[in-house]
Parts: sequence; C-alpha cells; structure tokens
Amino acid sequence: MKRTILSVILLLALGFLLMADTLVIKGSNTVLPIAQRWVEAFKKYYPDLAVTLEGAGSSTGIKALFNGTADLANSSRFLKSSEVEKMHAEGKYFTPIVIAYDGIAVIVNKSLPINDISRETLKKIYTGKITTWNQIDPSLPKKRITIYSRNTASGTFETWENKVLDKERMAPWVQMLESTQAEVEAIKRNPYAIGYVGYGYVTEDVKVLKVEGVAPSMKTILSGEYSISRPLFVFVDLSRFGNTWPETNVVAKFIKFIVSPEGQKLVEDAGYVPAYPTTSSE
Amino acid sequence: MKRFLNFLFSSVVVLVSICVIAALIGIFAMLIHESLPALKKIGWEFIASGAWYPTYEDAEFGMLYMILDSLILVGLTSVVVFPMGLGIALYTTEYANRREREIVRSVTELISGIPSVVVGLIGVLLIGPLMLKIGAWTPFNLLNAVVSLTVLTLPYAISLIIESLQSVSRDLREAALALGSSKIRASAMAIRGAKHEMLYALVLIVNRVLGETMVVLMVAGGAVMLPRSLFDPIRPLTAAIASEVGEVELGSLHYSALFLAGAVLLVISAVITVTAETFIRRGKRWLTG
Repeated sequence: MKRTILSVILLLALGFLLMADTLVIKGSNTVLPIAQRWVEAFKKYYPDLAVTLEGAGSSTGIKALFNGTADLANSSRFLKSSEVEKMHAEGKYFTPIVIAYDGIAVIVNKSLPINDISRETLKKIYTGKITTWNQIDPSLPKKRITIYSRNTASGTFETWENKVLDKERMAPWVQMLESTQAEVEAIKRNPYAIGYVGYGYVTEDVKVLKVEGVAPSMKTILSGEYSISRPLFVFVDLSRFGNTWPETNVVAKFIKFIVSPEGQKLVEDAGYVPAYPTTSSE
Repeated sequence: MKRFLNFLFSSVVVLVSICVIAALIGIFAMLIHESLPALKKIGWEFIASGAWYPTYEDAEFGMLYMILDSLILVGLTSVVVFPMGLGIALYTTEYANRREREIVRSVTELISGIPSVVVGLIGVLLIGPLMLKIGAWTPFNLLNAVVSLTVLTLPYAISLIIESLQSVSRDLREAALALGSSKIRASAMAIRGAKHEMLYALVLIVNRVLGETMVVLMVAGGAVMLPRSLFDPIRPLTAAIASEVGEVELGSLHYSALFLAGAVLLVISAVITVTAETFIRRGKRWLTG
C-alpha cells in the first residue's frame, strides 16, 4: 500500500516536472528587486511556468550560466576579461542585454550643511586623505567623517571602485556594511557619516549630494551627465540555442517581456532608470 | 527479542557517534584542503601583514589585524562577562532564596533564547545611537561589539558558572560555615573548589565569543584596522568570512583565503582549549599528588 502511494507521488512529481516549463534566473542583488517584479508579472501570462529566482551576486550568476544551472544571469557589471576568455575557450556565447541604468547616489545625514561634492573629494575621503569634514570646507564641523561602504561582495562596491576610486585602495577605517538598507539607516542616525547607495534605495531620511554639480535623477543618469552610474545587464547564453537568437521558447518570451514597455515600467517601479521606453509608442 | 532490541539500539548509537566523528574530521579535512592553495600562494604573509584587500587587482590577504581584532574582542568580552557571570552565579547559589533563584533562572533562560541576530539589532538600533551620544565617531565599534556580545553570552556564562559552583560538594561549604568562617569565606572556598570547572566554563565562553558571527557582523563596524580606542571600528575574522563568502569566486585565491581564515579561527580555539586542559590536568595531578 505504502509503496503504491509512494510511486504515485513520484510519478506525479515527475509528470509535473516534465510538463511545466522552467526558468532559472540567478545573479546580482542589485537587479533582484527588478527581477522579482518581472517574475511576478510574467507569471500572470504563463501561470504554469516554474520560475526560480536567486540573488547571490553578479559573479555567481555568470558562474551559473557557465555551468548551465541558470537560463539567465542578472549582472550589475560586464563580463570580466577572464570570463570572456573562459567563454571563448568553452565555446559559449553570452549576450548582454542592457535592461536599466543604476545611478549611485552619495548620501549624508540631513543635518550636515553640504550639498555638492566633487569626485576628487570623494576619492580623497574614501582613500583616507581627508578625515574630517572641515578639511573639505572650513565651514563644516570639525568632526571625523564616518565612511560607509558596501561590502566587497556587492556590485555597488565594484562600480564605486571603478568610477570613484580609480582602483586605488580604500582606507582601512572605511566601514563595510552588509546591506544598502543598513547604510541608509546608519547615515540617518549619524550626523557625520557619508555613504553611497543605488539611486533606487534613496529615502527621505537622508540627503543626496550633487556630484560635480549634478544631482542624480532619471534624466541625468540616462543622459550620462551624472557621472557615477552604470548599466545593468541580463546575460543569456546563445550557444544553448545554436548560436542564434531564441525566438519561441520561454527564455525568448521572458526577454521580450523585460524590454517591453510593461517590463521597463517595472524597472522604474523598482527605483532604477529604465533603458527603454515605458509607454507604448502606438 | 530483547537481545535484538539491545543490539539494534547499541548499533544505532554507535552509528550516530561515528557520523558525528566523521563529520568533525570531515570539517577539519575540508578546511585544511581548501585553505592549502592560499597558504601556498600567500605564504606566511597572511599573519605577517594586516592589509586585507582581497578584491583589488594586486590583491593582498593579510589577516593580522583581523586576527588581533578577534583576540582583542574575545579578551575584552571575557573580562567583562566572566566577573559579571561569577557575581550573579555566586549570588544565586550562595545568597538568594528560592524565589530569587527562580527569577534569575527564568530570566537567564529567556535571554539565552534570543537569537543573535536580534541581539545584533539591539546593538544597531539601541546601543549604536547611544555610542554617538557618548562621543564615539561611529556607532558601530569595539565597545558596541563588547556590549552586544556581553548581552548574548552573559546568560550562557551564568548557567555554566552556576553549574560549576554546584559541583562543589555542599559538605565543604557547610563544614566551612560550621567552623565559624564567614559567608564570604565559604564562597571563596566554593570558588576555589570549583576552579577547574570554572576554567572549563571560561574556555566555553571564550570559544563562543570567538565564533560569534552575526552580532559582530552587525555592530563591530567592519573596518580592518587595529583599534586605538574602544570607539574604533573593528572586523573580526568571522565577520570577514560571513561578509565575503557570499560572492567570492569558487576556487579563487580569495575563496581559499577565507577558508584559511576559518582554519586560523579553529587553531586559535584549539590552542585555547588545549592550554586550558593541560593546565587543569597538571593542577589535578598536583592536588592529588
């Protein structure tokens, strides 16, 4: 009796697995809030589709694309040269799709009387050449700057390293925080702190500084006027589809959806700058 | 039938024990195996330098500051936790009446049930702002970590010390009292009688603090530097492992270095435990002659 029940369950599970289409998406935590919205909306069109979504970091996503455990990899950075070499060596063909832009906002406590900062100054703060606020401007308080950064695992850190630090090393006293929310929370409570977060995470509780006279906004990020921003990607491995663009399968449908006005509207909802129009042209 | 059941029971017990031992050896083996590449490539620089820049192009994997951060934190926390625990334990075993004892017991049990992430949150939301008020330049620092870890480990310390005090036979204490010694004298007797058990308790507390990850990740500050004051941020080894292992490239030097950090923690803990045990064994031999 028990055995019969067990085999029936197994058969059912097997049948279910065979019937349902699956889509596995892995990668960047930065892209995760967008991807969550996409998956939710996409499932309304394809209720039978089983989607697995995981945010474990850009490198993890690309690695999953290499070993075939993901259909799509979200990434907040482009491929590293080592990854490009490996890709060629293994005969794979990862194609990037730019799906959004992420501006990185520099934030301070609301009570701090500063509104504008240069990239040079930011670099000096983070590399440890400036340690107190009055070194930037004598009218600022003579207080030590508490410097926050995201931990090295985050894509935001990598962009900051490339765009602001020019790969120079951060000072040892820069404090690594584990999440963007923690950073916003810490800066809200500490009047002499500075930090950087994805534009989508800025809240009312902190003050966003202009960088080189430009405030981050949808417009300035998309136009490139605001200098600390980066494109966000979804990578797909075309070698799995015979080195051509997939047209009919579930991966193709999902890609079409995410660049559609509806998908791009969700990018905007998640707090990022859409890469394509959010309204239909018709 | 009875014999069969006996046999079944004993084989299950043996099997489980083998599993546990195998898992333990497996953990050791894996740590050593995964950290070997880093040890070969970095060499002894990992404990000679404090520069930890694992993701930069010319990466450096100096763990000295993080090792010292861990040790400083363990030292300070034990110095705070142990006397406090001893005081409360003494009061409970020697002075308190039954109702007070009940209260201490239930309160410590309640607190020891708090998950470390919640203690971390208390550190972030309550102790952090307090740090700023008393003049710290950052809310997350060494002092905050010590205070939060004290909250986390004190109940554990209290019950361990109470246990060790209770291991001293009642007769000893009563004999002391009967001979006319004061209550303080009798307590001192109890402490002396339980000193080996208490050393064990201290080792357990130290290992607990050394291995604690969530709290230090949240409140220690996450800056790889040697603290010059209680208000400076630190980053113990456990926090670095937890923070970086999430996105590290599998099989890379950084990945291996994180395992090496784990091995370092294991070695520190083993050294402390073995030292204490040797000490106790010697002491016992000396006592029994």
